[in-house]
Amino acid sequence: MEFRIEQWRAWAPGLDSDEAWQAWAREPVSVEDGDAQPSCDFLPAMQRRRLSRLARMTMHVAWPLCGDDEQLPLVFASRHGETPRTFALLSDVADEQPLSPTQFGLSVHNAIAGQWSILRGQRGESTSIAGEADTFEHAMVEAATLLADGARSVLVVMAEERPPAAYDEWIDDVPFSYALALRVGGIDTGNDAQAGVRWQLRLESGRGDSATATWPHALDWIRAQHTQGDTLVHTWKTRRWIWQRIP
Amino acid sequence: MNALQQEIAQLIIDTLNLEDVTVEDIPPTLPLFGEGLGLDSVDALELALALQKRYDIRIASDSKDARQHFTTVANLAAFVQAQRNA
Repeated sequence: MEFRIEQWRAWAPGLDSDEAWQAWAREPVSVEDGDAQPSCDFLPAMQRRRLSRLARMTMHVAWPLCGDDEQLPLVFASRHGETPRTFALLSDVADEQPLSPTQFGLSVHNAIAGQWSILRGQRGESTSIAGEADTFEHAMVEAATLLADGARSVLVVMAEERPPAAYDEWIDDVPFSYALALRVGGIDTGNDAQAGVRWQLRLESGRGDSATATWPHALDWIRAQHTQGDTLVHTWKTRRWIWQRIP
Repeated sequence: MNALQQEIAQLIIDTLNLEDVTVEDIPPTLPLFGEGLGLDSVDALELALALQKRYDIRIASDSKDARQHFTTVANLAAFVQAQRNA
């Protein structure tokens, strides 16, 4: 599949500008996670009150990529979702405490897509997916199908939050919290005036014995975007995803 | 605003995660729901849970009076006081 990245925006603790990401891309390190989160102060306080950290990260990166009067299909992707919320609810269950109605009501994987829809008045399609370590690529497949179905552009958000320590034994692919929003468009053949960086993404079969990428795939993509890398190979199990920049 | 009213106003802010809102922004007679502070039904459930935990009181969800107790901070404070004295 081929597409254009018309615009993109990323956030991680301490990484909130092109310059900061540029520096990170040259020398990638695992940044301190802490509890930093975007302020989302473009929203009134009453509308911010039910936004979790992952939701704020999502709103922060996605907000400027969608025009005020624009309707864009959304693909929200996260392998692990809101683990802090899940952990808090399970802790309440274990302690035989009543569950918070707000927390319970938002404890589904598509809650953030729903909040986006409400806050931005979006009435079109939205999809929330959770895959394996190649969730990012699956989100791009989803976007490509929406483009093939006639959408002019699609908003893709890949977001992960550093899980509570209790999950350490099972979750090892979120070195720090991050969110990446892409505004993805199709490529009109013969129209070279179209803005954005063009990529081809294809899937090959692997033998299932290759090592996975050092960084989560979305972070690796940001790195390539900043260092002008033109080929990325992301392998997970028997799936070998090849990203190739189209000149 | 008396001490209990202040305490309840702060509980509303903390429980419902109202950033940028201070106790002074919630005068005792301000309607909490709809016009006024702008809370909704999920907030009501959340607030009822917080009040029950904090003051060890019971709020019957089917009580006709519950709606009245929740209209303002003043009414909530009077309700909590009455429950404590009961």
